[in-house]
Amino acid sequence: MHKNYSVDNLNNQGNERVVNVSTGIKKTAAILFSMTLLAGVAAGCGGNGNKSGETSSSEGSTTASGAPAGAPATLTVEVFDRGVQGQPDLNNNKWTQYVNEKFGKPNNAVVEFVPVPRSQEVDKLNVLMAANQAPDISFTYDGTLVTRFAKSKGLYTLDELLEQHGQQLKAYLGENVLSYGKYDGKQVSIPGKRTLLAWNGMFIRKDWLDKLGLPLPTNRDELYETLVAFRDKNPGNVDGVIPWATAAAGMNYTFGNLVQSFWKPLSEEEFVTTPNWLKPGNKEAYQWLNKLYNEKLISPDFALDKTTKQADADVTNGKVGFYAANWDYPMTQKIRVPLKQNSPEANYVPIDTFKNDEGKYLKEVYNENGIFSFIPKSSKNAELAIKYLNWMADPEVMFFLQFGDEGVNHKLVDGIPHGIEQSGEKMQMSNLNMDYTMIVNGAELGDTEKNVRTYAAALAAGDKSYEKLAIDSYAINTTDGYSSYNYGIPNEANIKYGKTLGDMNKQMIDRLIVAKPAEFDALYEKLVKEYMDAGGKAVQEENVKNYRESKAAQK
Amino acid sequence: MKAVLNSQPNQVGIKRGKLFLLRIKRDALLYALLLLPIAYIAIFKYAPIYGLIMAFQDYNIFEGIRGSEWVGLDVFRFIFEQDSFYRALKNTLVLNVLDLIAGFPAPILLAILLNEVGQARFKKITQTVLYLPHFMSWVIIGGIVYLMFSNSGMVNHFIAALGLEKIEFLSQKVPWLITYIFVGVWQNIGWGTIIYLAAITGINKELYEASDMDGCSRLRKMWHITLPGIKPTINILLILQIGRMVSIGFDRPFVMGNSLVSEYSDVISTFVYRVGISSGDFSQATAVGLFQSVVGLTLLIGANYIAKKLGEDGIW
Repeated sequence: MHKNYSVDNLNNQGNERVVNVSTGIKKTAAILFSMTLLAGVAAGCGGNGNKSGETSSSEGSTTASGAPAGAPATLTVEVFDRGVQGQPDLNNNKWTQYVNEKFGKPNNAVVEFVPVPRSQEVDKLNVLMAANQAPDISFTYDGTLVTRFAKSKGLYTLDELLEQHGQQLKAYLGENVLSYGKYDGKQVSIPGKRTLLAWNGMFIRKDWLDKLGLPLPTNRDELYETLVAFRDKNPGNVDGVIPWATAAAGMNYTFGNLVQSFWKPLSEEEFVTTPNWLKPGNKEAYQWLNKLYNEKLISPDFALDKTTKQADADVTNGKVGFYAANWDYPMTQKIRVPLKQNSPEANYVPIDTFKNDEGKYLKEVYNENGIFSFIPKSSKNAELAIKYLNWMADPEVMFFLQFGDEGVNHKLVDGIPHGIEQSGEKMQMSNLNMDYTMIVNGAELGDTEKNVRTYAAALAAGDKSYEKLAIDSYAINTTDGYSSYNYGIPNEANIKYGKTLGDMNKQMIDRLIVAKPAEFDALYEKLVKEYMDAGGKAVQEENVKNYRESKAAQK
Repeated sequence: MKAVLNSQPNQVGIKRGKLFLLRIKRDALLYALLLLPIAYIAIFKYAPIYGLIMAFQDYNIFEGIRGSEWVGLDVFRFIFEQDSFYRALKNTLVLNVLDLIAGFPAPILLAILLNEVGQARFKKITQTVLYLPHFMSWVIIGGIVYLMFSNSGMVNHFIAALGLEKIEFLSQKVPWLITYIFVGVWQNIGWGTIIYLAAITGINKELYEASDMDGCSRLRKMWHITLPGIKPTINILLILQIGRMVSIGFDRPFVMGNSLVSEYSDVISTFVYRVGISSGDFSQATAVGLFQSVVGLTLLIGANYIAKKLGEDGIW
């Protein structure tokens, strides 16, 4: 060690001499270079300081810009980046050009879109909000997140702005939709309007049933018989038949309304406020699934399939007899296209097969609201942001953003716009451009049947055979539907524990189904106790309290 | 440097200060070069320490650190009341201890074996092949593991073809732990080997020649020359590893874990990710991080102290 030091010293002196001989220019350059670096660092810090300074000052004055004179204001708007193959620049394409032409120019504004990866939506938004860099119009599907931001006083309250600049928007969305965006009686977000309310759907291979001479199952027991027949007779003659395909809980694949079909009747208050795990009949539902899993009727590795890649591959390779997923899942491109290629004879039809004791096919449907748009406190363009959303509620604007030009992006067939697949900058990166039209979710032609047919045409790129599937699936999956109760009061316990409980929920489902039958009872007790201790109880108690308050308020 | 100063015992304090300035001036160019790494350390390692304040606040992202409310130790109390935190802590320790037991000696053994390989070409190729997995992302490795070890994966296909019962590598506790450790060793063994091979190169060749003269066997040489030769390196790496006992990488448990083994795969880093980034509770995430650092530092100091007591070189 010591030896090394002295060698270094010698070298230093050697360098020194060289430097001295070859003028001081190098030295000066080095010093300048390092000074520049330091200056850069200082400037970086200063920049941040300025930014937060501006933010706090803008909180005082609610409005800014919007005046047609002077330099144009920049309105930033979030957009999901779904990583679609061949997608154009999310900030420079047919749709953004239209927005800037029709809205930007008259309002002396530039609308700039800020891409956020779809799969990390919440994580990224948390970071952007914390850094005061969230777009002027940000959005999320996570209602609890909005509540948390509102509670931390990070959002604009929009009542006055809506009154002044948002009449068209108000009229379009209506009281009910807007009520989902309230916190403490104040409007803190603008929920989109959901035009189609179905959530889950169940699909069975009709061609397999025909081959085996079986009818469509109409209840659990019949479905069970059918699945056993699929397993034993392998009607598709495939390697590794999977009677019922699913993936890890929490993704697109579900168990349809099976669990609901086991629930025993409850009063409205109990039904609304009791966690599903405590509802009478819930345990039997998972026991039934557990039995099916252990009889090899359900995908063997479903709990490891965290991305649904395996389930998708099984379905599209024609190995699957039955599955439950979003009501529109068979129409999505990732299922529709490879299925047609690999297994053209496969014919999945929607069915309703989980009947409860009262003879109903109880199932959860969506509330009327879609994605929540909000304006972060750090924004300097609140007025402009509301004007933008208001502008979008114009039927002509909305039609263009959803369907584009006739002859280019769609053709009219029986009054229904059929999408024409486009690439490059005319392409739509999300279904009906929903990432650019945050005030609406689903086709908007003012009539449910038309909306379903349009939606199907859009998803299936004009393939007529899917229109019937869509109409049937929608009808089935809105029958006997119930939607989650709108308390109108935020649940503080849910804000605190919601994420943990959500994660536990998914793990519980997977573990219970895979458990050894002999260990099921003990495991169910144990997991439910853990769930209640980890916040489930607190959430339930507050739900009861809020429910009674909201009922009292209605009287 | 010290030696130089001591060699001039007659100089007094003032002169010493002057000497210091002189030295700076003389080596200005080198100090300028040093600025960049110092800036890096200051900005990315020291400046964020300011954020630790969040652990003692009910941190509000819109108010920032200066505007948030102080809550004392409430955040820590909340964390220590949660069962899932203890589970994460326990799993972190268990996985790290297993990793230490299986993963620490492996590169040493491999390095010694490689060192004995006579053919230089074969040695080089083997070394390269072995350390390539180190550069693979965990997401890729996770995919490979799924294809190999899932219930319908390659390994289980072979097992089934042999007429044996399938092993649930990824969904049962013990098989999952073994898979987890095994994959970790596979990924890191080559990388660790490089350090030990470098240390072995530093051993005086004359020692080997002398032992050859004395008629030592290969095993004897490994035991009496190679191992003692790299002992200081082993020590330092071991101490550092122990210091990292409570911290754990995020990708490996996150990618390898699934809901069926979540009771063993949920570790501190995934816990912090869940409460901090996903739930936006930065106070909790910071508090857990602080806790982790304090325990890590304690372990590091402890290990170093013991090593020194045993007469070995510590890290300081």
